[in-house]
Parts: sequence; C-alpha cells; structure tokens
Amino acid sequence: MKIKKILVYCGVLSLFLVFSSAAFGGALVADLENALMCKCDDKCGKVIINCTCDTANQTRLDFQQHLDSGMTVDQIIKMHVDKYGETVLSAPSKNGFNLTAWITPFAAILGGGFGIRKLMKRWVKRKKTSAGEAPDSIEEPSPTAPSKYARRLQDELDNLES
Amino acid sequence: MNALGEFALQLGLATSIYGIVCYLMAARGNRIDLYLSADKTPLVVWACVMMASIALWKAFLTDDFSVEYVWAYSNSQQNVFYKLASFWGGQKGSLLFWTLILTTYMVIVHSQYRKKHLRLVPHAMAVMLVMTVFFLGLLNFSTNPFELIPLPPEDGRGLNPLLQNYWMVIHPPTLYLGYVGFTVPFAFAIAALITKNLDDGWIRLTRKWALISWFFLCMGNLFGAQWAYVELGWGGYWAWDPVENAAFMPLIVATAYLHSIQIQEKKDMMKVWNMSLILLTFVMTIFGTFITRSGLIQSVHTFDEATLGFIFLGFLGVIIAFSVFLIVKRLPLLKSENELDSFLSRESSFLFNNLVLLGIGFATFWGTIFPIISEAFRGVKITVGPPFYNQVNVPIGMVLLALVGIGPVIAWRKATWSNLKNSFFKPIVTAGLAGVGLSFFLPFTNKAEILAYITFIICVFVLTTIVLEFSKGARARAQISGGTFIEGFGSLVWHNKRRYGGYVVHVGIVCIFAGIAASSAYSVDAQKVLKIGESLELGGYTFTYEKLRVREASDVKTRIIASMGVFKDGKRVWTAKPEKEFYKEQNQPVSEVSLRSTFIEDLYVILADFREDETATFKVYVNPMVWWMWFGQMVIALGTIVCMWPDKQEERRRLQRVRRQEAVFAAGPAAPAPAQQE
Repeated sequence: MKIKKILVYCGVLSLFLVFSSAAFGGALVADLENALMCKCDDKCGKVIINCTCDTANQTRLDFQQHLDSGMTVDQIIKMHVDKYGETVLSAPSKNGFNLTAWITPFAAILGGGFGIRKLMKRWVKRKKTSAGEAPDSIEEPSPTAPSKYARRLQDELDNLES
Repeated sequence: MNALGEFALQLGLATSIYGIVCYLMAARGNRIDLYLSADKTPLVVWACVMMASIALWKAFLTDDFSVEYVWAYSNSQQNVFYKLASFWGGQKGSLLFWTLILTTYMVIVHSQYRKKHLRLVPHAMAVMLVMTVFFLGLLNFSTNPFELIPLPPEDGRGLNPLLQNYWMVIHPPTLYLGYVGFTVPFAFAIAALITKNLDDGWIRLTRKWALISWFFLCMGNLFGAQWAYVELGWGGYWAWDPVENAAFMPLIVATAYLHSIQIQEKKDMMKVWNMSLILLTFVMTIFGTFITRSGLIQSVHTFDEATLGFIFLGFLGVIIAFSVFLIVKRLPLLKSENELDSFLSRESSFLFNNLVLLGIGFATFWGTIFPIISEAFRGVKITVGPPFYNQVNVPIGMVLLALVGIGPVIAWRKATWSNLKNSFFKPIVTAGLAGVGLSFFLPFTNKAEILAYITFIICVFVLTTIVLEFSKGARARAQISGGTFIEGFGSLVWHNKRRYGGYVVHVGIVCIFAGIAASSAYSVDAQKVLKIGESLELGGYTFTYEKLRVREASDVKTRIIASMGVFKDGKRVWTAKPEKEFYKEQNQPVSEVSLRSTFIEDLYVILADFREDETATFKVYVNPMVWWMWFGQMVIALGTIVCMWPDKQEERRRLQRVRRQEAVFAAGPAAPAPAQQE
C-alpha cells in the first residue's frame, strides 16, 4: 500500500514540476531563446540559446526589438510559428496530440512501478508460502561485535562478493 | 596501398563469412577440424581490417587526395594530429574505425576465452563475426573509404573547423570503445541463449566487458560534454541533441543492467530481465549509429552523407527480431524461482533503480523519436529540444539520485523499520541541516533555483550515506585486525573492490548532479558591445576589453584574438583571450572560448563579433561549479578502476566453482560433454 502511495505522489509531483514552468517568470529574451529553434541556412538544429551563428545573433536582436515595441513573449512566439510552422518551437506544445509527448514517460514509469509492485507482492507471497514465516530482520553485524565472532566476520567479509 | 586496403576489406569480408559458417557447423556437428579452421578467422579478419586502416591512415598522412575520403576530410595544411583524427571524421572512415575496434575486441575475447569456454565461445565468435560482416559489407559495397577521384585535386577540403579540437582525438574513440564494447556481452548472451547455458555463467564471463564498455561510454559522453563546452561557445555542455541522446540511452540501460545482474548473481533471479537489458543496450548502440547515419532526425552530429538509414534500420530489425525470438523460445529455461523476502530490501530498491533508469532512458527515446511520431500521425514535423528533456528528465533524475543514497544502505533480503531508522537517521538529519544552512545563502527566484536547492539537499543525503558506509566498514575492519582506521579502510576496499568501487562511482555521480544543478540554476551571462578600454560587470567581476590583434596562423587559418582583463575587487585575477578563427573556404568563423575554471565557478568569455574600428561584441558567462562535473568524471573513472581491479578472492572462488562443476561431471552417470567451465 505504501509503495502505491509513494508512486502516486511521485507521479503527481513530477507532473506538477513539468507543467509548472509558467508559474515562474524569467528574463524575457532568454525565454524566447529557450522556446525557439535557430532557423539558419545550415539547419544547425540548435535551440537559439545554444546557437552562436549569425542568424541566431540576428534573431536575438530582433527579439529585443519586438519586446521593446511592446510585443509579449507569446505574441513573438506565435509570430515565429506562423512564419516557420510548429517546427520552430523547441518543445512540443502542452495541448492536443502533443500532450502525449509530455505524459507518456511518466505514465510509463507509473505503469512500470505498479507492475513491479505487483511482481514484488507475488514474489513475497511465494517466499512466505515456500519457507513459512521469515525472521523479522536480518541485522547487520555490529562493528563492535564480540571478539569470538571477529574471525567469522572477517571470513564473511573476505568472501563477500559485492 | 589504397588497392591493398580495398583488397584487405574484401578478404576480411570473405574470411568473416567463412568463419561464421565454420563456427556454426563445428558447433552443430562437433567437428573439431572445422573448429580448428574457424579458430583462426578472428585473427585473419582483424589483420585485414588493420591493414585497411593503416592504408587509410597512410593516405591521410601522405595527402593522397586521389582518395575521395581524404580529399573531403583533410588538406595539406592540416596538423598531423588532425590528419590522424580525420580517419573517423566522416561516415566512411568512422565505419572502418568501428570495424577496427570490433575486430580488435573480437581478437581479445578470442585469445582470452577460446580454450576455457568451448561451448559458448564458438557461438559468441559467430555473433561477433556476423556484426563484422555487416560493417564490412557496408564498407565493401556502400561506403568504400578507398573510392578514388579520377582527376585528383591539388588540395583537400579539410576537416570541419569545429572538429579541429583536441577532443576530436579523444571523444569519438572513447565513445566508440563503449558502443562497440557492448557487442561482447551481447554476443555471449546470444550464445548462452543458443546453447541453453542460461545460468549466470555468461554474466560472470562478460561482467568486466560490460563494465569496461560502460566506463568508455560514460567517459565518452562526458568528454563530449567537455568538447561542446569549450568549442561550441554557448556556455553549456549538453544540448539534448538526438545524437547526444543516442549515446546517453545505452549508457542508462547499461547502468540498469550492471545493477540488476547483481540480483541474478546473488539470488539467481531476473534472468529474462537481464537478458532483455543487455539486448536492449546493444540495440541502443546500433540505434545511435542509425540516427547519425540516417538523416531522419535533424542533428548537429549527422554525417553529411547520411544515407544508410534504411540499411541500419533493417539490421536493427533483424537483431531485435532474432533476439526476441530466442528469448521467447528459451523462456521456459529462463524462468527462475523469483522470491523476495520483503518489500523493504536491497533487491526491491534495485528494481526501482531499474525502473527509474529505464524511465529516463524511455523519456529520452520518446523525445528523440516523437518528431517522427508526430509527422506520422498529424503530418506535422515538430521539434523536441532541451526544454522538453529538462522538464521531463530532471524530476526523474532527482528520484534516481535519491535512490543512489537509499539503495546501498538497505539490507539484502529483508530490512526492518529499525534498520532503516539506524541507517537513515544521520543522513536525513545531515541533509536537513544542510538544507537549513543553504537556505540562508541561495536565492529562490525561479523553478531552476528551487530544483537546484532540492538537488543539493539530496546530494548531501547521498554523500552522508556513502561516507557512513565507508566509515562503519573501515572501523569494523580496523577493530578486527587491530590496525588503524586508515588500514581498516584500505583493507575494506581491497577485499570488496566491486562494492566499494561502486560507492566511489556514486560519489562521482553526486558531484556531476551538483555541478549540473548549480550551473543550470545560478549561471549568469551578459553580452555587450565594447570599445577598447570599456568594461562590463558580471557576477562580481569586471571584464575590461584591452586589445585586439590578428595572427595568420597558417595559409588557411587566420586568428583574431581579443584580450580582456578580468578584475575582482580591483585586483587583476585573469586575462581572457577569446578568439575568432577564420578558415579558408568556410562560411562561418569558429569561436574559441577563453575559459578559467575553478571549483567554485568558471569564467567563460566569447568573442561574438568585431569590427574594423576594433569595437567588439563579447558574451561572458559566470558558470558556477562546472568543474565539479569534470571532477566527478575522474571520480567515476577511479571507482570503475577499483571495481575492475583483478580480485584474487574472486578468482579463487571461480576456481572453486569450476572444481565443484568438474566433480559433478566426474560423478555423473552419463558420459560428460566437454566441461562447461564457468
């Protein structure tokens, strides 16, 4: 039960982290540089913030001019999408079909987590039925174990494989 | 020499095919004569590929521009260093280089194991030869590196200026050593499936190969990050480019494999899972080459003449189909009596470690192929770039980091809440105190800063668990032997190299996470047009533009070098010398970054532009803790060496197992087959 709860909490928290980016502000030009791809003739395939070519440098200057003229980040992004198509966006939008890009990895992990939980339950049950009640715990030997156990401990440590 | 190289490739291909046939027929029909004949083929194939490689290197060193590949990737002015590295600068040479590494590994495996593991080795050799046939087939029929130009030009085009960096000599070979290395465990896994030797013998046999390959792949990824950092000039080290992803995915899957095989070795569980993981790792290595050579996905790493997509896709399909078929066929033999003592155990933490690692791997794979999926379903090609991977992989990565601390502390078989309390009390308290302390110094103005803060707390938690593990063990050892703590520490690591080497690797991982968190969240940058004598302020430093000079480095290269005095509290701490390099017949100049790296922060200066009146545009970054990543890389290297160090205890145990097996065979009622030595 606890594992199920942990998995659900982790999933919810991860999705919150993914979808919460809009909750925090940032430098406007940097936001644009992060959001849009470089469209140079070399087809470098880099997001503008990572690109140092002349086209990227010119685009940065254009961003500043657009922002100075009163356009918002969303308007500038839309202008670029209208001009170049969706491929100019550095990440899929978080709506429609593109939402699957964002949700699928977490859905896969959650599904895998529940699968592992189910397997573990089966394996624990199998162990209990095959061996009866197991001891409550496997205590680690104390570092200050009595000396009569010292030799045995050393042998065990020497033979420990991992 | 070129004709000799071409002939060597043909001979290598023919010998490889002969080797496969002989090995398989020898194994099926117990034909010693065929086995002895096949036994020489790995060496002959390697000699052929080596001969072809020497021929190509000679063509580069002697500026033989009649060879089209040499003309395309070298010129007479090029440094000898880069002439040698141009070998793997393009598609044809890189395929030959791949084949050279593959056949070298094959010869090593052959000489190591051929007399010890008579049942597995012929099949494993046959698998490696099949891989060799594929690459030699490409080299002979599709991408011949010795293709000639009828009228040889006087000079070559030269290597791409971005590749003319010392990392070109280090990064691709390291990555290739990792990629190709996974062919060895893959080949033995397939051999184990074919021969039905499905105990953990193949895992033990190839454990070090998997570790060595993982090591090279890890180092290759991090060397690539360093190269991008010093060469590309955008202040970062990882751009989630599809080809970076392609190198990252097998590393992640292989990490999962290296962890989960411990469960099989300890408890004989998860045979199907481990088999699947090694097959997936190998498939991912081929997927990486498919991406660079298909031109299907846009990437800065894609080769100019990326036309081999469908051939690689077909090869990938055959590998997957054959591997899945074998696993399904052997499923009854692979089934193990999986049992678990408790939910709270080292075994379960390894399972979740595998889940999270594969989650990161899947998220990366999904992002890499999503543009193709989108185009297939909507007819719209979209881009999946760094913002996607950062938002998806960062939270999963943080969970993974926490597991690095949690997993090793939980007892095997069964842990109780009191065990957990004892193990985690100190790390949690230390991490909590660190969190309180850090909250006074760190800003919390955006999501990246909050995530970095949480990452630091988890890093402290993980480091504390590791330090406690070392100190508890060392004290116990010291008490037993009556020596000092240092002696106990040495004895502890020496007698448990694999376990404590693994912990050292974890320390390296923590350093890398801390470096990534700090440099992503607290990096600051500024760009300004300056005249000589003017300054810009950033991160407590004053950067003053002092002079600009021009140097003709060679007939094809001109360097424009700016000098910038860097001052802190009025005291000069460094002189930055960023450059722009202009290469003849290249459209874009190349920026050479000037970098001062300390464990606190990096000062990173780029000469973005300049004019004739010596006005220049500078871009300056202050990136905190990037050094920690490269330090973490060295720590990982140290930990891996400790793990791989030959262990006499382990060798003794191996011999004991062999003797036990021999005794069983000797006492058995039926006449024994050749003893399968572990």
